[in-house]
Amino acid sequence: MAWRRFFITVLLIAPVIWLLAFGFTRDARYITSPLLAKAAAPFTVTLFDGRKISLNDLRGKAVFLNFWSSWCTPCRAEAKDLEAAWQQIKDKNMVFLGVALQDTEKDSRAFLQEFNISYPNGRDETGKIAVDYGVWGIPESFFIDPQGRITYKHVGGIRATLVNAKLEEAARGIVSAKEGKEDYQPIR
Amino acid sequence: MLLRFFLILYLLPLNPLLAADAVDIDEQTRSIAQELRCVVCQNLSVADSPSEMAQQMRGVIREQLRAGKTSQEVKDFFVSKYGEWVLLSPTTKGFSLLVWVLPFAVLVLGLGLALWLLRRWSANKTKPAGSPADSELLTRVRNDASTSESLAIDPEDSSPHAQLRQERARLYTELKELDFDYEAGKLAESDYATLKLDIENKAAGVLQQLDSLAARRTPARRTTEQAPSAPKRLQSEKHKRSYRGWQLATGGAFLLLFGLTLGIALTNSLRSRESAQDSITGGFLTGTSESANTRFLQEGKSAFAKQDWPKAIEAFKQALAADPNQPEAHAYMGFILLQAGHADGALLAFDKALSQAPNFPMALWGKGMVLLRDKQDYSGARLVLGQLVQLLPPGAERSEVEKTIKELPPAEGKPQSQATAAAPSGQQIIGRISVDAKLKGNVDSQATLFIIARSDASKGPPLAVKKIDRPVFPVSYSLGPENVMMQGIPFTGRVSITARLDKDGNPTTRQPGDLTGDYKKNPVAVGSKNIDIVLDQVVQ
Repeated sequence: MAWRRFFITVLLIAPVIWLLAFGFTRDARYITSPLLAKAAAPFTVTLFDGRKISLNDLRGKAVFLNFWSSWCTPCRAEAKDLEAAWQQIKDKNMVFLGVALQDTEKDSRAFLQEFNISYPNGRDETGKIAVDYGVWGIPESFFIDPQGRITYKHVGGIRATLVNAKLEEAARGIVSAKEGKEDYQPIR
Repeated sequence: MLLRFFLILYLLPLNPLLAADAVDIDEQTRSIAQELRCVVCQNLSVADSPSEMAQQMRGVIREQLRAGKTSQEVKDFFVSKYGEWVLLSPTTKGFSLLVWVLPFAVLVLGLGLALWLLRRWSANKTKPAGSPADSELLTRVRNDASTSESLAIDPEDSSPHAQLRQERARLYTELKELDFDYEAGKLAESDYATLKLDIENKAAGVLQQLDSLAARRTPARRTTEQAPSAPKRLQSEKHKRSYRGWQLATGGAFLLLFGLTLGIALTNSLRSRESAQDSITGGFLTGTSESANTRFLQEGKSAFAKQDWPKAIEAFKQALAADPNQPEAHAYMGFILLQAGHADGALLAFDKALSQAPNFPMALWGKGMVLLRDKQDYSGARLVLGQLVQLLPPGAERSEVEKTIKELPPAEGKPQSQATAAAPSGQQIIGRISVDAKLKGNVDSQATLFIIARSDASKGPPLAVKKIDRPVFPVSYSLGPENVMMQGIPFTGRVSITARLDKDGNPTTRQPGDLTGDYKKNPVAVGSKNIDIVLDQVVQ
């Protein structure tokens, strides 16, 4: 009788404890992306050199898509690394594409010049591309395989070694189980 | 003219329609935006948020509505991009269904429990002391009351048994007086019945206690006159009472524990908003907490702003005791030490901060200032401040740092005016460090380069070490007296020069994957130039 009551009490209390633990162990700010292993949203962006580039044109190549802004410190911290990574893989069947977000054209251009960024970069003037990719922190990077599927997402600054490793995986169509996280700034 | 007339005629009925359509879309946009969570703020809808992102999201909603999408389709679109997190009201499917069902389920269960408890309590309250189960006692009371003359009382006896007997006699007398009053017509029938039952119940209670006392005194002499089930009932009552006590104690302990846990968890998980976009949520469990070190850090910063150095030092020390790797606390300590004239300690503190956060602007600025003003290591200062400039977006702060760099003397290492006095080129070793072509793929761009000079005769600690964070190869270097590890030891004679590109930035450890290289004609005399090193070995 006593044991039965004890078990009933535990059964009643356990879900409450579980709910509390669930609530307390989550970071309410962090948005887990539902886009991993899903098709990357197609878009066309006008590059700073005036050309237009469409994601569909890049089908068949592994794509590294990076959202950045000139006012974002982690973006500035990763800029040199990204250019270094680009220099290492630019002759392979891989593409880097940068998309400036919530930034003026002048500041974006100054940023590209300052860090000698040579890979294609454009501006998301309306924020539509950012919404399409569920962007909420900056920088955010997406790796897209040759079939146009998102294989990895990284919120925050990213290192050249990780860019290269994840691009190699994307080229082989390997989808990461989890997204990555480093220092980031919330977008405005 | 005719054309204009037809144009007006054509547009007139359309204008209100277009306007109505626009209003409708605006209303729909607002209604959908109210259901979506702003992704850059906390607990604000896309409709209410003033952020640029929310504006852009409203634009996307409007555009999709214009394209003919329904409200549900627009919401589904945002869910497909941000997950169900973006919905202010969770869906009624899957796990989210719990959020809707659980409160009602708990409410119904709670009400049911409350009703059940109320009924139980009211049943207990209305149940007379001499309940149907104790009807035997009531019968005994009525019999005894009518023959109470036979109950002898010793007024001198003060034992519990005697007191109970006195109480019983008093109650029996009360019953008799009640009967007398009723028969005299002094009491209404209903009052008489209520009062009589009340006294009888009290008397039954006394009888029960007398029985239990008798059972305790002479357990072996239980007679059939006594209520045969009384001892058993007594035992059962005792058992029940102890069981209830156990239940109460357990319940109380659980509630206390629950309250304490909740109190601690909540106080540690909530924080005050520092900005409109900041969250009040977080916590030591989520790793986003306003934990002890953050609290001390805040205290330290506030004391630092008031130039209350002892208080600031104490707070930063406590912050570092809670988290020895806190870069901000190290950086502030660096500034305090700098203020007090301890340049070496300050440099160490800034280096500690940078070992945890290589791009921490405050520590870079501090280190740059120490190198510039206290160490007169202009090449080092240029390197550090150059790194800082790259991190700062255009603005006043950046202009300030750029101005500082511009004002640095152009010469490598020491300024032209002082270099000769402080470290003449004859006291320096100058050269370049590059990476073997085969190992270029092994270069970690976040790694730290150490250029180490060891006295030729010594196998002990290095004579001098130069540290360059995140080098871009080939790197020019100069090693001089300012890089000597122990103050007072001259940087002279012949030394062996080696270099290591260290992944973890810790000069005392060598990790697999670190790149190393030696100057091929070691040892070299201090004052040598073109001491070029190629990093051509990988630590296994």
